[in-house]
Amino acid sequence: MVNAAGTGLIRVKEIYRNREQRVKELKAEGKTIIGYLCIYPVLEMLTALDLVPYRMFGDMDETITSADDYLPTMVCPFLRSVLDLGIKGKYDFLDGVVMAHICDVGARLSHIWDVAVKTPYSHFIDVPHTDRKISRERLKELLQDFQETLEIFTGKKLTPAGLKESIELHNRQRAMVRELYDLKKPDPPLISGTETLQVMIAINSIPVEEGNNLLKEVISEVKERGDDVPKKSARLLVWGPVIDDIALIEMIESLDATVVMDDTCVGSRNFFADVPLTDDPLDGLAYRYLEELKCPRTFRESNTDGVHRGYQADLEARFGYLGDYAKEWNVNGAILQVPRYCDSHGYEVPQLKDYFEQISLPNIYLEHDYSKAALAPLKTRVQGLTEIIG
Amino acid sequence: MIRIYFAGVDIGSTMTKVVIADEGEKVVSRVISHTGAEHRRLANRVMEEALKQAGLSIDDISYVIATGYGRINVPFADKQVTELTCHARGVYQFRQGVRLAIDIGGQDSKALKIKDGKLIDFVMSDKCAAGTGRFLEVLAPTLGLRVEELGETSLRATRKVKISSTCTVFGQQEVISLLSDGEPLEDIVAGLHDAIASRVASMARKLKIEPDVVFTGGVAKNSGVAKALGKNLGCEIFIPDEPLLSGALGAALLGKETVMKALERGEPVKRSEHRLEEATFFDQVE
Repeated sequence: MVNAAGTGLIRVKEIYRNREQRVKELKAEGKTIIGYLCIYPVLEMLTALDLVPYRMFGDMDETITSADDYLPTMVCPFLRSVLDLGIKGKYDFLDGVVMAHICDVGARLSHIWDVAVKTPYSHFIDVPHTDRKISRERLKELLQDFQETLEIFTGKKLTPAGLKESIELHNRQRAMVRELYDLKKPDPPLISGTETLQVMIAINSIPVEEGNNLLKEVISEVKERGDDVPKKSARLLVWGPVIDDIALIEMIESLDATVVMDDTCVGSRNFFADVPLTDDPLDGLAYRYLEELKCPRTFRESNTDGVHRGYQADLEARFGYLGDYAKEWNVNGAILQVPRYCDSHGYEVPQLKDYFEQISLPNIYLEHDYSKAALAPLKTRVQGLTEIIG
Repeated sequence: MIRIYFAGVDIGSTMTKVVIADEGEKVVSRVISHTGAEHRRLANRVMEEALKQAGLSIDDISYVIATGYGRINVPFADKQVTELTCHARGVYQFRQGVRLAIDIGGQDSKALKIKDGKLIDFVMSDKCAAGTGRFLEVLAPTLGLRVEELGETSLRATRKVKISSTCTVFGQQEVISLLSDGEPLEDIVAGLHDAIASRVASMARKLKIEPDVVFTGGVAKNSGVAKALGKNLGCEIFIPDEPLLSGALGAALLGKETVMKALERGEPVKRSEHRLEEATFFDQVE
């Protein structure tokens, strides 16, 4: 028998290379596979109904062609790529899709998908964009609505007990991801940014329980490591939306830099906040997805009482958690990476740069084209940052 | 007393520049040559010329830093440093009070925030050619002018025509249409310069402009763009005598600092073999 302690990262790389293999096997066994976009579809509800969530990504190597019939070319290239792959049949194995009002393009994509691709089940969650009490109540209603459509689709009833069990399972995964990220605190970190992203992409591609088993193996394997990850001068925090391919992180780590922390939606962002276990599980879910998920798609203020406390307080309310990350992971530089036309993240950049300046963290803004070929010119910028850090 | 020398090799998209400086930071040799497709691999020839000018051999050079877009193609370099860091150092040598440097080259433009001679932040243009020297290179023939003539021509303008498009290709169409409308040549050129300057100034504003501002790169030789840039930034701008050389000069000076730091610490200086030969590319290696 192969020693389990040495196979976790190998399995991770296998899944990374062939993401859809496992869900296709499960489908052949009779399971129902539900694709989802971004981190706002409430996976706990899918898992509780024995549906297998599968995170939808684009493909940086595939030229976008078919999607141009439906989306203008000056919108998010990641979402255009997802639609393009859908039209080209790459997601034909999905039994359904769940999308949310992540951004305007993401919202429209949900409707365009129904026209251009079509899957047996589809649902759109119109998640509110502020973190006020009234929004939370609205999200709870929207989740009830989501639940009803899922119950009709599956012919099963979603019980509060079943949902709580699923929440615990997902919270377990979140705790394990945080444990994995703790292994990035030493210098050098025990696991590189490239490997971390592969792990994160892998667990976004398989059922949560299998993901938890995989994480357990990876964590014990990484803990036993010696000097597998080289020591570099720059310990970077990477911020931004989805990174679904290791190319960008590999480019960064080919220089005198290691990505020790991230705030990206395939990385830490979706795993650093648990769902509180409330009497009505929907209360805990609505709270977590609206209040706790720190994505720029939700408008956050330093107050909700109408009193303006000034720019510094606003920056602290919006980005204070990044300052905490910088301290805890001993970060000495940040990269604000944004695929071109990602408005929701782009809007944050001037203020986030101000915040980083306030905490004296050198940083650069990298806008890219969601294409591997276009990454090379960005290398000079990253090298420039490493030279500033020294 | 034995003098020691340091070389900076800056391979830009259009021009290759070499500066050799001595330990007293005096420039003993400087060469500017076209990069071109074939020249990119021939940094050694430009270096040979610079050595010849100074009456030196490669063995006299203590340290070589390569910078610029083609910095990886310099087999005799000891270290590669980005043009961002090298420009910041070179510009500081020209003007110690510099807080912002704007460099408009053949392929891109960049703004550097500098504090005490050190780079602290930067922005670079990306793939569009509109804010670069290429914009002028493409448009000059359309106007029947050489690039070198643009600056002086624009200074004769009585007003500047508004060029609405900041895309090089559409800019050319716009210029043709303006010529057909009978707009005076010098007013069109002034409009073009303003289009570049306003684009680069808005990029630089992201760094929060503080004086002194230094303008470098090939386009800094164009007095029309320099004037428009000063107007757009709302402050005086300073231009070195040879604005093309700040990257290579900075590289040479950073080389000196690298060597001095190592000597102070009693550490050996990590050097390459200084083989003055053509660059070999990966696809040529068996």
